[in-house]
Amino acid sequence: MKIPVAAVLAILAGSPVVAHHSFSTEYDKTKPVSVTGVVRKVEWRNPHIWFYVDVKDSRGQVTTWGFSGAPPSFLMRQGIQRDAMKVGDVVKVDGFRARDGSPNASGGRVTFADGRSVFTASPEDQRPD
Amino acid sequence: MSKLLLVAVTAASLAACTAAPAAPQQAPGIPRAADGKPDFTGMWAGPGFAHTGKDTDAATVRRYTEANMSAFTPAGKEKLYRKYAGNVRIDDPTAICLPNGLTRQIPSPYAQQWIQTPTQLVILYEYMHFFRVIPLGAPNRAHAGDIEPTYMGDSIAWWDDDTLVIDTVGLNEWLLDAYHPDDGSSRWHSDKMHVVERLRYTDGKNASYDVTLDDPEIFEKPWVEHWAMQMKPGWKILEFICDDNDRCRGGNCTAADVQKPGGGS
Repeated sequence: MKIPVAAVLAILAGSPVVAHHSFSTEYDKTKPVSVTGVVRKVEWRNPHIWFYVDVKDSRGQVTTWGFSGAPPSFLMRQGIQRDAMKVGDVVKVDGFRARDGSPNASGGRVTFADGRSVFTASPEDQRPD
Repeated sequence: MSKLLLVAVTAASLAACTAAPAAPQQAPGIPRAADGKPDFTGMWAGPGFAHTGKDTDAATVRRYTEANMSAFTPAGKEKLYRKYAGNVRIDDPTAICLPNGLTRQIPSPYAQQWIQTPTQLVILYEYMHFFRVIPLGAPNRAHAGDIEPTYMGDSIAWWDDDTLVIDTVGLNEWLLDAYHPDDGSSRWHSDKMHVVERLRYTDGKNASYDVTLDDPEIFEKPWVEHWAMQMKPGWKILEFICDDNDRCRGGNCTAADVQKPGGGS
């Protein structure tokens, strides 16, 4: 899995935090979430990509978290292709929880096992500090 | 649906508020059509991008700048800024896939394709697949007298030397831009909004994009936002279906198949 350095930097240097077209109606910026797990599925679809991460708790219980990322076009135009994140990748995801309390969130930042840190949230999204 | 009879906008009223300063010397090397006019045909990264000069670019949500705005009418500020209402149709209708409307579509951070002929200009917006078919004709001519108000309005265009002028009226009362409840409110314009876009090549791949906003219910006089767009020959319009996988609409998420008990991969 390789993401061009320039593309990653472009994302890291993305636009200031302003609201996604639906961020505040869907997610709660006062409820950050950070999980580490294994990517189970990636949906490269509009209006935003979704990816799902199996997260095991201390008792061995697995919860599949869903994270909303940027629109596919935003990522593609920054050089990020749909295979940038693969099923089986171990990732740490920082984001903000859905308002309904379900295991879904805005996926503000993805950190891969090799330490690369990539924002997948839309430039319109709230991003974790 | 009832129709709104709009007073035809005359050339004189436009010229007074939208005329640009004396045009600078036209940059050499700009694309020109067979009729000699600057040719805006092509793929563009509109104001909603960083404009890197490369094939890759960063989507950038731009909003109208408060410092550029005219003074408000007595009731103007209250009409422009709508406090958070807990109603998505007021706070951000795009969250339920309703349209941007013209003033928010102009800086939309998605690609757009322009197709220019001697008699009309077609703009294809990737976001929500909106399009505009804009007749090119005599400068400062009047709009039709009876216009159905819409999200994108009634646009007509003409040439002012090498500057393309697009004049729009007949807009719904709708969102001004992507100002958001997280900022404390949303921003709206009235159905009296009159938009004049002025586009001019600054070199072979870049164009200045000045947007004059004239909303007499909100602002005391017209004011201008200065933006730009950049040609991206390697891009193409991608499909964008807002309803396709909008899984947490209104804050109520639908479990994906992999999140259901015994869910598949």
